[in-house]
This record gives sequence, C-alpha cells and structure tokens, in this order.
Amino acid sequence: MTTLHMLSHSPFSDSRLSSCLRLLGPGDGLLLCGDAVYALQPGSAQCQALELMPESIGLFALDEDLSARAIAGPQRLQAVDYPGMVELSCRFDKVNSWL
Amino acid sequence: MSKSLLIISRQPPWSGPTAREALDIALAGGAFDLPIGMLFLDDGVFQLSTAQQPATLQQKDLGANLQALPMFGVEALYASTRSLQERGLERQKLNLAVELLDDAGLTALVARYDQVITL
Amino acid sequence: MKFAIALFAPPHAPSSRRALRFAQAVLAGGHEIVRLFFYQDGVHSASSNVISPQDELDLTGEWRDFVRTQRLDGVVCIAAALRRGVLDTQEAQRYAAGSANLQAPWELSGLGQLHEATQQADRLVCFGGS
Repeated sequence: MTTLHMLSHSPFSDSRLSSCLRLLGPGDGLLLCGDAVYALQPGSAQCQALELMPESIGLFALDEDLSARAIAGPQRLQAVDYPGMVELSCRFDKVNSWL
Repeated sequence: MSKSLLIISRQPPWSGPTAREALDIALAGGAFDLPIGMLFLDDGVFQLSTAQQPATLQQKDLGANLQALPMFGVEALYASTRSLQERGLERQKLNLAVELLDDAGLTALVARYDQVITL
Repeated sequence: MKFAIALFAPPHAPSSRRALRFAQAVLAGGHEIVRLFFYQDGVHSASSNVISPQDELDLTGEWRDFVRTQRLDGVVCIAAALRRGVLDTQEAQRYAAGSANLQAPWELSGLGQLHEATQQADRLVCFGGS
C-alpha cells in the first residue's frame, strides 16, 4: 500500500524529515505543508536530499505555504492547492502525518 | 474485516502527555479488539528504557503502563534499531518485548498497515 | 470517499487552519466527513473561550460554524480535554470547576470514537504539530 507522508515542521530544527526519508517506500508521496516547505530552500542539504529521492516518490507542497515564503522548489515539485491535497489523499492508499 | 492501525510513537516518556496519549490510542484500539500495531521510533525508544524513576518528576510510570499493551491484545510491538543505536540503547535490556526493525523493515511495516498515526 | 479528520493542534497553530481548509475542500469535492475528532492540544480548537483580535482569523468560530452548518459529528476527546481545561457544563459541574468552555456543536467522548471513525472512513487524515 502506498502512503502520502505529510510534514509540517521546518527540517532545520527537527528530525521528522530525516526520519521520514528513511521510511519512504517506492511509490509513496511526500507532501510538505507549513514550515516543512523550508526543506525546499535552494542550496540547502535538505533540498538536495529531496531532489535525490527516487523518481517513483512524488514530491508535493501546499501552494499557499510556498507563496507565503517565496519558495519555488525544484523541478520535480508539484504545488497543490487544497482540492489538490484532497485528491492526493485519495490517490495514495493512506495518509501519514508526522505530527 | 477491521482496518489495521499503526501508531508510531516518537516522543520521549515525559515531554508532555504525547507518549501517554499515543499509548492511550493503542490501548483503546486493543480494547475494541482492533488490529493495532505500535512502533517506537526516534526519541520514542527512550520509553523502553528500564530503571527509570518517573516519581522524581511526579509523573506516572509510563513503562508500567506499556506493559498493558499485550494485555489489551496489542502484541505487534516494534522499535527502530537505528533509533536505539543512535541513543546508545542497542545493547540494553528493554522494558517491553518488541521486534527490532532496520530501516527496510520499517518501510515494509508502514506499507502493511491500513492507517497510520505518527505522534 | 469517506474521511475521518483528526486535529491535534490548538487554534493558533497553522495546522488547525490547514485542517479546516482541508475539511472544507473535502466536502466541496463531493466527499463525506464521517467525523472530526479533536485530540491532544486540538481540544483547544473547540474552546468557546478563545477570543481573537478583531483583525485576526477567528478560527474557533470558523470551526464551530463549519460543524454546525454542515451538520458534522464534531467530537472532542474527553480525557485530553479535561487534562487541558476544556470542559462542557456536565464536566464543569462534576469537578466543581470554574466554568464550562465547550459548547454545542462539540461533544465530549472517548477514543473509541476515533477508532470507530477510522474503521468507517476510507481515509484518516491527521493535522497537528506545527
């Protein structure tokens, strides 16, 4: 079963992203919301790690959080709005939020 | 057929009520005979350490409450080998019978469950 | 699809607003919400005592209106609520506490309601932390 992992903490002061990256399975998705979009900060090790994830892993971010922080994200990133977030939660078999 | 639920507990025993509230979800599920699993990950493995003295912090003994898991039918208990190693706990006796999983094992574990709550 | 939505964060956390906007999108997309379950600090998102400055978002008010207007099942975990000082009239009387700050449409109940919703729903989506 595929999992959409949701993160909302900044990865610079928190271990959720690194723990999540180790747990990701092929075909899983990673949705960044809130301060977690800082992981897409260009030039950061975190952004590099996200770009190096296998192709089969979908990388998504909530569009309002990207615009609020003026972050564009790498090529492979797909920005989604709330309806898009709902669609993602239907697309993957389950949603795992890293609370 | 009931949906299975994996609870991933990532907080140390006394950083607020989170460790206890994660355990409460597991016990409630067990009480309803649901297929529940519990994984101790990151600082959550500190909950498994023996010889803790919660009374000095005027806290209840979470370790003792963890023993209730099998009694409530929650026997699918796991801990991350990496998390234990990072915290120097890999050679210590743990206060709960858990299956130790490496990263690949954790990926497979999460994939197997119908729902997951990580707190 | 049927959704169970659980909130673990208080109203000043961005994830509380995010959960509400997600819930609104779920209904707008033609899906169903089986239950909203507020746990941990999420119980504060159901408080009737949160006063927001006039020029700020009144999130507890928005949650309340959403549950009422859409006739949703809005459940607050009783154990988490008591521990954090969120009480309905019955519990306030039971414990001779100061006052009640949990009102309709919210209801206090146990974790069994979270499990029941998880079993009934196709998707469980949790919001919290930050």
